[in-house]
Amino acid sequence: MVTQAGAARRSRSKFELYMWFFTRVSGILMLLMGAYSIIYANLMGGRGVMDAGAELRWAFFPISFHVSSTDVELTPNFQNPFWQFYSLLLFAFAATHGANGIRVILKDYVRHPVLLAWLNAMLFVLWLAIMGAAVYLVFAAQGA
Amino acid sequence: MSKLARVSIPQAIAYRGGQPMTAWLLHRLAGIGIVLFVGMHVFAGFILYAIPGGTANTVANALTEFYEARPMQIFVLFAVLYHGLNGLRIVVLDMWPSLHRYHREAMWVQWAVFLPLFLIPAFLIAIGAKVG
Repeated sequence: MVTQAGAARRSRSKFELYMWFFTRVSGILMLLMGAYSIIYANLMGGRGVMDAGAELRWAFFPISFHVSSTDVELTPNFQNPFWQFYSLLLFAFAATHGANGIRVILKDYVRHPVLLAWLNAMLFVLWLAIMGAAVYLVFAAQGA
Repeated sequence: MSKLARVSIPQAIAYRGGQPMTAWLLHRLAGIGIVLFVGMHVFAGFILYAIPGGTANTVANALTEFYEARPMQIFVLFAVLYHGLNGLRIVVLDMWPSLHRYHREAMWVQWAVFLPLFLIPAFLIAIGAKVG
C-alpha cells in the first residue's frame, strides 16, 4: 500500500537522482567536447590564424559565427552539418545543465512553495525559449 | 536536499569555511555567472540574426559589445574553467569515495591545474595573440 504522498516523494527523488546523474554526465561530456573542438579547430586550419579568444569561443560553442572574425576559411571545415549537430548537442547539454543548476539554487533559497512553483515554471519557459533560439541560430542563421 | 538555515548576512560573511567553502561559493557564483551572461549573449544573438531589422537593435548591439569586450571574455573563461574543473573534482571524489581522505589535497591539485590553464589563455586573450 503506497500512500499518495509517499509515491510523490519517491517519484520526486527519482527525478532528483536522474538530474544528479545528468549533471555529472553532461559536465564531463562538455569538457571532453570542448577539448575536441579546440584540437579540431587547429587541425582544420586554425593554427597560427585564430587568436586565443576565437579558439575559446569555438570551444564553448562551435558555430561559424564564433570564428567569422578570424581569417580561417569557414567552408567546408568550420561550417558543415557535423559541427551544426555538434554545437546543438553541446548547447542542449549546457542549457539543461544550467537550468537544472538554477532550479537547485531556487530550491535552496526560495521558501514560499507557490513562488517556487512560479519561478520553476518561468525557468522551464526560459529553457524552452533558449533551446528554440539555439536551434534557429545553429540551423537557420548560419552564414547570415 | 539542503536544510533551510536562518542566518543574517553578517553571520554568513563571518562564517569561515576555508577552502571547501571557497570552492562551493566560487562554483555557485561561476555557475550563475555562466547562465546569466551566456544566456544573455544567446538572446542578443537571436535578436541580431533572427528578427528582421535586428542588426540595428540598440540593446542587442550593446549586449554583444559588452560580451565581446576582453575583460568579459576573461571573466567567462574564468567561470567556465573553474566550474568545469571543480565539477570534475566533485565527480572524481563521488566516483571513488575512498579518495575523500585526500579531499584537501584534491583542492590544491585543482588550483595547480586551474591556474596555468586559466592564466596563459587569459594573458593571450588580453594581448590578442594568435596561437597554435
